[in-house]
Amino acid sequence: MRFLRLYGTFIALHLKKLMEYRIDFLTGAVSFLINQITNIVFIGIIFSQIPDLDGYLFYEIIFIYGFSLVPKGIDHLLTDNLWKVAWFIVRKGDFDKYLTRPISPLAHVIMEFVQFDALGELLTGIVLVVVASVKLSISYTAGKIVLMIIAMLFGTLIFTSIKIACSAIAFKIKQSGSILQIFYMTSDFARYPVTIYNEIVKNIITYIIPFAFTAYYPASYILRGNDPVFCIGGTVVLSLILFGFSLIVWQKGISAYESAGS
Amino acid sequence: MIYVENVTKEFKKTVKNPGLAGSVKSLFHREYETVKAVDDISFEVPKGEILGFIGANGAGKSTTIKMLTGILTPTEGKVEINGQIPFKNRKKYVKEIGVVFGQRTQLWWDLPLLETFSVLKQIYQVDEEQFKTRMAFLNEVLELDDFIKSPVRTLSLGQRMRADLAASLIHNPKVLFLDEPTIGLDVAVKNNIRKAITQINEQEKTTIILTTHDLNDIETLCKRIVMIDKGKIMYDGALSEMKQQYGKYREVNMSLFQNEDYEQLHFEEDLKLGGDDLKVVRNKEKITVTFHSDKISVSDLLSYILNKTQVKDISVNDVNIEEIVCRMYGNGVSAS
Repeated sequence: MRFLRLYGTFIALHLKKLMEYRIDFLTGAVSFLINQITNIVFIGIIFSQIPDLDGYLFYEIIFIYGFSLVPKGIDHLLTDNLWKVAWFIVRKGDFDKYLTRPISPLAHVIMEFVQFDALGELLTGIVLVVVASVKLSISYTAGKIVLMIIAMLFGTLIFTSIKIACSAIAFKIKQSGSILQIFYMTSDFARYPVTIYNEIVKNIITYIIPFAFTAYYPASYILRGNDPVFCIGGTVVLSLILFGFSLIVWQKGISAYESAGS
Repeated sequence: MIYVENVTKEFKKTVKNPGLAGSVKSLFHREYETVKAVDDISFEVPKGEILGFIGANGAGKSTTIKMLTGILTPTEGKVEINGQIPFKNRKKYVKEIGVVFGQRTQLWWDLPLLETFSVLKQIYQVDEEQFKTRMAFLNEVLELDDFIKSPVRTLSLGQRMRADLAASLIHNPKVLFLDEPTIGLDVAVKNNIRKAITQINEQEKTTIILTTHDLNDIETLCKRIVMIDKGKIMYDGALSEMKQQYGKYREVNMSLFQNEDYEQLHFEEDLKLGGDDLKVVRNKEKITVTFHSDKISVSDLLSYILNKTQVKDISVNDVNIEEIVCRMYGNGVSAS
């Protein structure tokens, strides 16, 4: 409760800041939009050459892609400051500040920054899911929608957990931006059905860095009625395991923190 | 209040060979060496005291402060403040302390100062009533009113430092850690900050640990100092005592109308002073004479100089803290 109020304060402050740096915000949001449009065009080009992708139609791929943007976008919106932890907050010793405040440093560092640029990503995702749903005339039930929202929220947790764990490595090695980048980029694999990949890639993005659960599996439940226990339950269980793991890494990281000379 | 017992902090450093080849080599094979930033130090600070913590750059001051504030975990030894162990009960512990690192700010860069305070109010769970009286008090002591509505990025260094000090006090801490709170400030702002620190210490019995390179800070604020060098405590005691032992050095800075007049000055022969008791450094026109004020009085020295030469400009100063520190090492003072 206290956290929510504090988060609310931070978000309000960010909105004020947004007004101050309008041009920067608009540029950021537009660049994300352009990025998304090129990605969709790319999928369009692929499908102009082939009728279907491993049995998936164009709008099904669009659905999965749009679905993948939602958890990614929410995470991007809320926890972007972790990138700064990985790149320089730890290296420059600026993490000191968080350790002298009576709230969890992790919560503090996350709440402190809201990346409104991510709204472009999030919006594109939602639009694509809606458009694809209409084109494919998917019949939604209340239960389906609830499960979909659950999957999106816990999918977000998968992104966040991976960012927490990777940025915590910086406590040990000072800078872990590139490591985070590599892990984060594997989420691009989640845009397509895992069935198109070979076994190794498939297993990695299913069980080790479970980005497939942020989009493909839950989407396949909606699209094809695949087993919800695995497709949605898997997202919940794996995200919680990963989150627990990332918190342990973070905690271990903090005790290895060495600050910087001043 | 504050107990520090046999505390040591070691850092692991990678040893790199110079040049690109060395860097490439260290990519595959790393050698580490252990550096003791703080080496077996112990001291106590009673409630309400202002302790000056001094030493050269890299002596281990900041590392010690960071261990006391719970940012770093000591490799060995025990720290207890307010009955709590900083890095263990961190969240509870930091509610009772305030921290200012002069080199960096804890204010939010893009926000008006007032907003920073209201965020901190929430973080520290200060209730509205207390917050109001507190802000009124801090406003009065630190004169924040002129710039409280400006974004932090537009503040001058002096304003920012006052704001940072206020931010560290918003939750009424029992212990205040100030790491170089006057660094880079002009004399007027320094005075302002010192006055504020004194006032807070007197009114609220706040225990304060302060690091600085400015002897004037120490002189106006602290009765007791701890001096640290290469991670070890070199001196722990009253400032007056240290000054008696080592601070009796003064400097005469002067320039002459005619540089060749300098040849007229024979300190060693005429005054029978030399070695540690009197040193002369010449830098173009500027001449600096450092002397022990027990061995020769200021007036004697001045009249000697004035008799022999035509002085264009002359001033007498206390030697700065670095000078005292250097002398103490030269004399091989052991931990007391």
